[in-house]
Amino acid sequence: MLLSMKDVTTGYAKAQILKDISLKVNKKEIVALVGANGAGKTTTLQCIAGVIKPWVGNVFLEEHDLASFAPYQIVAMGISYCPEGRDIFANLSVFENLRIGAYLIRDAREFKLLLDRVYSLFPRLYERRRQLSGSLSGGEQQMLAIGRALMTNPNLLLLDEPSLGLAPILVEGIYNTIQEINASGTAILLVEQNVGLALEISSRTYVFEKGEISLSGTSAELRDSDYVKASYLGIV
Amino acid sequence: MGLYLVQQLINAISYGSILGLLAVGYTMIYGILGLINFAHGEIFMIGAFICYFLVSLYHVPWVIAALLAVAASTVAGLLLERVVYRPCIKRKAPVLTVFIASFGASLGLRFSFMMFFTDRRRAFPIPEFFEKMYFWGEIAIGLRDIIIFVTTIVIMSLVACFIKYTRLGTAMRGVSFDTKTAQLMGINSARIIVAAFAIGSALAGISAIEYGLTFGIVNPGMGFTPGLEGFIAAVLGGIGNVPGAMIGGFLIGVGEILFVALLPPELSPLRPLFVWALLFVILFLRPTGLFRPNVKFAGIWGE
Repeated sequence: MLLSMKDVTTGYAKAQILKDISLKVNKKEIVALVGANGAGKTTTLQCIAGVIKPWVGNVFLEEHDLASFAPYQIVAMGISYCPEGRDIFANLSVFENLRIGAYLIRDAREFKLLLDRVYSLFPRLYERRRQLSGSLSGGEQQMLAIGRALMTNPNLLLLDEPSLGLAPILVEGIYNTIQEINASGTAILLVEQNVGLALEISSRTYVFEKGEISLSGTSAELRDSDYVKASYLGIV
Repeated sequence: MGLYLVQQLINAISYGSILGLLAVGYTMIYGILGLINFAHGEIFMIGAFICYFLVSLYHVPWVIAALLAVAASTVAGLLLERVVYRPCIKRKAPVLTVFIASFGASLGLRFSFMMFFTDRRRAFPIPEFFEKMYFWGEIAIGLRDIIIFVTTIVIMSLVACFIKYTRLGTAMRGVSFDTKTAQLMGINSARIIVAAFAIGSALAGISAIEYGLTFGIVNPGMGFTPGLEGFIAAVLGGIGNVPGAMIGGFLIGVGEILFVALLPPELSPLRPLFVWALLFVILFLRPTGLFRPNVKFAGIWGE
């Protein structure tokens, strides 16, 4: 097992968002978190990335409890968080964004390998490498955010709504790339509002409702569940 | 008239160098902390004082004293970060609290120096070597002005290359633009803050030596006016934008000297007003300064 959350309750300031969340991600697996807006999916990713800390319960990366680590240290341990809304460094060029992503990579050869990998996953980024990233289109910015997260060379990639605001054809491209990334050995924990898409790409899925996990199982099982069909897939 | 103007411009370049170097420190620290470091002018003053003490009292060779003065400014800046800013950041103190701490540090340093050394103006040691003048027709250029300008350009180029091309420099720009996201890249922002204070304070030390060479005086309040104008230069250049701050410094320095040179002498006490009026007009027309700021939400009214 790569990552596990055990009975985590947490939130922001005094507002509790998550209640008793337990989940796990195995090595090389794609796991999806689905559910309505405000159900606590993003909060869960932020808790794993160390942006917020559990009030109760623990997050483990293999056997290490992440409670005492700052976000920048958690990155060094192999977890990379690609936030919703991209948050690229708009004032920097595409290349410079990728270079910041590889801040922890000091070896020039390793940097080059990671850079080549990102450019081959996203040829568009190579074409635009000298361009100011703020001038990229939404889809390109999403590619850059994912590429930048990959530059830390993570074992686990946390992806928050990679399809948000993208045209359907771009979404398909991004999801093909996500599968490629996974095929090269990176585990992925994916937050996605498009439940059909999430169930299709992931091996296991957790359904969030009001800060709790209401349902979980293999994605194949959930696709056949009447409850999921009725509530999330709009199939009656 | 033309000749006079050229002569004034030559004089102005030294003041522009002084402000440009100061502005870089302001812009780096403002970009990263989101707050003006009021004590930057005192870091500057400390450098000048150390050089003065070492040469006048202990007869240390001037070049060595100047280098030690820059080192002293750097150490003072690092101490300031450690003692004043880091505790505030650790406790996630509200902006107003940090503002007051910063202001307090500035006043505390200035008035401690007044207490120990009085407010008297002292003569900054200027080696004879610098006094050499070159004449080109009727225009006089001091070796001092040439050295100041060349030193400043070399140092600014080094800093600009550092910011643009190195791993740490790129990380500094990232933290300046968006600290939270930079942390998700594995960047320890506490270390970036230390780097910004070290570089900014060293440049303030260099600026102080140039100030001493240009105006020949040292006193505890000497950092106030150049400090304010250096900050304005940073705003003018787009906050967080290092090359912008350098250009902003030269613009203010040159503009201010020309203001005094071109208008009747009765108006010259209004010189500081000119700087503020210039800032006001520019910010009114371009709220984020002349160049692209390197912070996510820049300018008085945001983007």
